Amino acid sequence: MKLTEKWHDELWARDMWWSGKTTRRKFLGLSAAAAGAVGATMLVPAPWREAFGQAKPYKVGVLQPLTGAAAAGGKTALVGTQLATNRINKAGGINGRPIELVVADYESKPDVGRRKAEKLVVEDKVDVGEGGYLSNVCLACMPVFEEHKTVYMIGVCLDTTITTSKCNRYTFRPFDYAPSQAMAISPYLVKNLGKKWHIVFLDYAWGQSTRDAYIEQIKKNGGEIQGTTGIPLGTADMTAFISKITGSFDGLFAIMFGANAVTFTNQAYDLGLFKKAKYAGDGAVAESTHLAALGNKIEGFVGVNRYIPVLTKPLDTPYHKKFFDESKVLLKQMDPAGPDPDRYVQSNFEAMNFLKLGIQKSGFRGREDSMKLIEALEGMEVKESDDFPQGDKLLRREDHQAFLRQFIFDIKNVRHRLLDVVSRDKVVVPPACSFPKA
Amino acid sequence: MSTVARATGPSRGYWTGFVIVVAALAAAPFVLPEFWQRFATEILIWGLFAMSSDILIGYTGMVSFGHSAFFGLGMYGAAAALLAVRPPNLWLAMLVGLVAAAIVAAFVAFFSTRLRDIYFSITTLVFSQIFYVIIFTWTDVTGGENGLTFRQPPLGIPGLFTIPFTRNGLHWFVLGVVVVSYLVLRRITQSPFGMVLQSIRENEPRTRAIGYHVERYKIVSVMLSGLFAGLSGVLYAIQNKFAAPDFVLFLISGEAVIFNVMGGIGTLVGPVAGAAFFLLMKEVFSRVFYEYYLIPVGVIFTLMVIFVPQGLLGAWRRQLNR
Repeated sequence: MKLTEKWHDELWARDMWWSGKTTRRKFLGLSAAAAGAVGATMLVPAPWREAFGQAKPYKVGVLQPLTGAAAAGGKTALVGTQLATNRINKAGGINGRPIELVVADYESKPDVGRRKAEKLVVEDKVDVGEGGYLSNVCLACMPVFEEHKTVYMIGVCLDTTITTSKCNRYTFRPFDYAPSQAMAISPYLVKNLGKKWHIVFLDYAWGQSTRDAYIEQIKKNGGEIQGTTGIPLGTADMTAFISKITGSFDGLFAIMFGANAVTFTNQAYDLGLFKKAKYAGDGAVAESTHLAALGNKIEGFVGVNRYIPVLTKPLDTPYHKKFFDESKVLLKQMDPAGPDPDRYVQSNFEAMNFLKLGIQKSGFRGREDSMKLIEALEGMEVKESDDFPQGDKLLRREDHQAFLRQFIFDIKNVRHRLLDVVSRDKVVVPPACSFPKA
Repeated sequence: MSTVARATGPSRGYWTGFVIVVAALAAAPFVLPEFWQRFATEILIWGLFAMSSDILIGYTGMVSFGHSAFFGLGMYGAAAALLAVRPPNLWLAMLVGLVAAAIVAAFVAFFSTRLRDIYFSITTLVFSQIFYVIIFTWTDVTGGENGLTFRQPPLGIPGLFTIPFTRNGLHWFVLGVVVVSYLVLRRITQSPFGMVLQSIRENEPRTRAIGYHVERYKIVSVMLSGLFAGLSGVLYAIQNKFAAPDFVLFLISGEAVIFNVMGGIGTLVGPVAGAAFFLLMKEVFSRVFYEYYLIPVGVIFTLMVIFVPQGLLGAWRRQLNR
């Protein structure tokens, strides 16, 4: 069954929600339970009654593209949110209150995203917002959450400006961004793969800002940039662009994601580009969810990512094993091929857990306590645990940007293989944000 | 089958209906919940966009797939003015947006009106895609994929008053602009100029044969249409405080054609009704059918094309054009 806004119909969510079918046995059971509950409520002292009365769910508004160009990624990202919610609710909720997800499909369009964000805060009256996949939609929705004084915990959007020039006090990014990734892998590229690099990037905002970050870091580490090639997003036949990649260089660095990455890798391989230069790039080129589509053409690729689905040291923890196994179950319900979890699952899972900790710490009751929640989240440090299987993290106070360790990996036998771990303190970029006055 | 409207005056019934509809739209903020109130304002904006495309589709007989370029340039023009001038000025944003849309419309019109039928449609589509690619990749100026975000300008007249837009205030402002635009476009379509446009739609060679410079009329028609599409883009930017390249994509032009077909081409108000019907249908179905909502939307659209080819208000076309 595919994931939908009716996610509570999914197998894994059935024990969280009423199934919609009432049998006589269920009816009698529920009636007895209800009668017992009413009786118990009458017997318990008033303060306790009040406490029980507050057990209404926390409403979390989740924005994801479930249709349109980014649907596949959006559905994968939603798995992380749902997994975290399952766990929180099974453990009794937060401060005794369960989480209720209100999922909105923004059709991969910014205007729809903005309208849905408005619907979540105005009509559904959610307590906090979570999710987002496409950066342009996140940027379009951020002012809506800010206007309604609602905390927005982003789940995937990677555009640098979200926590720099366009930052706001209500938005948090609990995962990495391009400047950190560039700092992590550039020394490895120059030291182990070669000094001369050619960068191929998707020619739009994210690709361009990421390209600039890599150029800066490769040069800083003693490397050279022989040239750059921009390819328009969604180009089906990239051979004209790939043919222009000439000259002498040691490695080709790709800044791509999704179907574009699959197209580029396939066509560059067929044109023999990887025979003359080593192939490296952003981790999104080789996400586990589309490794099967790349086959052996991605063999030997070296990349950087905040999350890779391997269970070797230091990711051989029980926390990661549990996250990995539970994610696989949910992903298999979405895609019968049963892909491994990727960074989209991981970051949404951890985004929900940041919200959980923030709510616990601040005593957040609802949107009227947003500022308390913000203050609780600002500067929050978390340790590797069940809630954060990727590793330790700092959610920086100044710009609401998280810093975390990075993994350098290659692809061997169509699977990720961990090569190096870059610690969190080596990927810290100075803050470049000044929050507008609320 | 369509006929050039007769230049007789509108009936009292028409104006009574007009006043009732405008009054109902003006009262909407008092009865609608907050989300639907905002949605109603958005429908008015898309309605103006649909109305602007009706000048070409319904009155001149030219189907444009480049209307998104005019809408988008109006939007980006307003965005540029709002970002460049401190404090942001509403009237300047409108002026810059309209000038940007007009320039683009003149450029597109100059080249595309030399062609007819499907060739005209394809040329306009190509132009809109060119503008889309420029806006999408020229990140330093346009913000690229991320677009531009900005603050909403206040409503004011220099030297007299300046007040920030409230939700109701914005609705009434948009309603005022849309109503005035409708009255202006209605006057134009009923003027001798409008009659020539309809004559071109009915029989272009004969219009040429009786001495009209058809190309000039077509150019003015595209420019006029582009100008009002740009105005809707400006209003959208002011309401939503952001501009994005997705609005320049040809899919937006396609939606304008759908609004026209559903509402009734050649009626001006029909496309507004079509926009309202289509957007409401999408919003409601997306809540019921989730990611499969486009299937019932597509089925209903197909059924309408088969069984109500004139659109929702097409049956009253003659009366609406009086």
